[in-house]
Amino acid sequence: MNSVIRTYELTKTVKGKHIVSNIHLHVKQGEIYGLLGPNGAGKTTIMKMLTGLIIPTSGEIMLFGRKLAETSKESLKRVGSIIEYPIFFEHLTAMENLQIHCEYLGFYDKKAIHRALDMVQLKGIENQKVKDFSLGMKQRLGIARAAITKPELIVLDEPTNGLDPIGIKDMRDLIRTLNLEYGITFLISSHILGEIEQVADRIGVIRNGRLVNEVSLPDIRQQRTDYIELVTSNVPRTAYLLEHELHITNMKIVQGKKIRIYDEGISVGQISRLLVSQNIEIEEIQKHTSTLEDYFYHQIQGGEQLDQVNGTGMEKAGTH
Amino acid sequence: MIKLMELEWRKLERTKVIGEVIFYWVIMMFLPVFFIKVVFAELPTVDFGDSYAAALDLMLLIQAGNLLFGASLINHVFIEEYKNKTIALSFGYPLSRQKLVMAKVLFIAVAVFCCTLVSFLLAGVTTYAVDQVQDVISGVPTLADLLTYAARMIIHSIMIALASLIPLFAFGLWIRLVIPTVICAIVLMQLPTIFSMLRITVNTDLLYSILSILGVASAVLSVKLVNKVGDL
Repeated sequence: MNSVIRTYELTKTVKGKHIVSNIHLHVKQGEIYGLLGPNGAGKTTIMKMLTGLIIPTSGEIMLFGRKLAETSKESLKRVGSIIEYPIFFEHLTAMENLQIHCEYLGFYDKKAIHRALDMVQLKGIENQKVKDFSLGMKQRLGIARAAITKPELIVLDEPTNGLDPIGIKDMRDLIRTLNLEYGITFLISSHILGEIEQVADRIGVIRNGRLVNEVSLPDIRQQRTDYIELVTSNVPRTAYLLEHELHITNMKIVQGKKIRIYDEGISVGQISRLLVSQNIEIEEIQKHTSTLEDYFYHQIQGGEQLDQVNGTGMEKAGTH
Repeated sequence: MIKLMELEWRKLERTKVIGEVIFYWVIMMFLPVFFIKVVFAELPTVDFGDSYAAALDLMLLIQAGNLLFGASLINHVFIEEYKNKTIALSFGYPLSRQKLVMAKVLFIAVAVFCCTLVSFLLAGVTTYAVDQVQDVISGVPTLADLLTYAARMIIHSIMIALASLIPLFAFGLWIRLVIPTVICAIVLMQLPTIFSMLRITVNTDLLYSILSILGVASAVLSVKLVNKVGDL
């Protein structure tokens, strides 16, 4: 599959501080790629560099196989974008904004403007000034502008920010439609997993300006892990018993008094019976299925929320 | 480039800008008569009303007011675009920033040139018309006066257009502040008066030539360094 975006060691430094470091991003043609990370992780900076809004400090961006630089921005003709929030000349009408946009791109097709407005359900209000639009209408107009010239790539930074639930659903449907019907590749950022999970094919996790992982959603779903979580006041002895009596090796201690057991084939009943027979108090025991949220939480937090394994020779859970 | 300049015009709040231009024109139409008949009427050392040739010097000083229009355009075309982040739209187009800035600079220069040229014409015609009724200037304009006025009108309009770019690099592109931009234009506009108050004799043509060169330097710096100082 062809690459639409490829970056090599993409870095942005501002006043000596690394905002984004050594990003190797790879977005394939026709996919919806989600950039996931907490606020301030560097998602917007990456998107700004990819769309020519800011100049990278170092590294290289290839769009459609061609290098993007200040002196060679031709490939941006094939890109539509909304970065941060939809920006318009507020004193101009929706139609005037779209016409100016098209003329900057050397694209003259009035019918395409009407089609784009129709697609985002803004037909009939094209002669209203943008300053009178609600945020949802501006988002839709932004999508119309991004899609008007039939780009091959659309970059959307937090596209559902400020939208009501219906607006969010409409936006999601629009992204899917443009992707499926027109084959447009999407790069979307969000700090909300639930949002990105519903549209993205692959997700890149950004933490502290670094791309820490790139995974496809079907892969992650396969990796979902079940575990038993046990809360007890005597963790060292419990861990010793689990290892020596039940031969459990794949477990870890979390937050000092919880033990998570990842070994398949061990039931809650077996553990309960052992601990009761050894007179160890069980405060809580429960079977969990780790969710996508757990997976990404761990990715984004870098596992810092999970305690280190104690010194009894236990392994860290393989998938975490 | 002409297309890019046209787009700069279309992006502006045109009603506001046209209103501003009309305001400048109306004020500057009547200022020569006002100065000769009211401000300098009791000052025997000031001789702008002695002849049409003498009145020309006053015209040149008054038309420097168009530098303020240049500052206003720097505000609309650069500072407001950075403030509203609409400049980000331009940076996202497949055009180099240098080309975009060049189009903006040329747009400002051409707009100030045209505005100053029309202002000269209106002020000249109004002063002549009022003179027919009120006897403002002694004598009648000769053909030589008219030719000199036409030539100075064009040359001075070019100089004002170029000098109006002086605040562009430091205040328009770099620190992006409206008030310093306007103050800079006011100081430039008042330079001959400031020198006169300090009893420093300065050749006005030389002064405006230097200001024009500084304006060109500011424009060149803006185009050359936009990638360094013009980032979002």
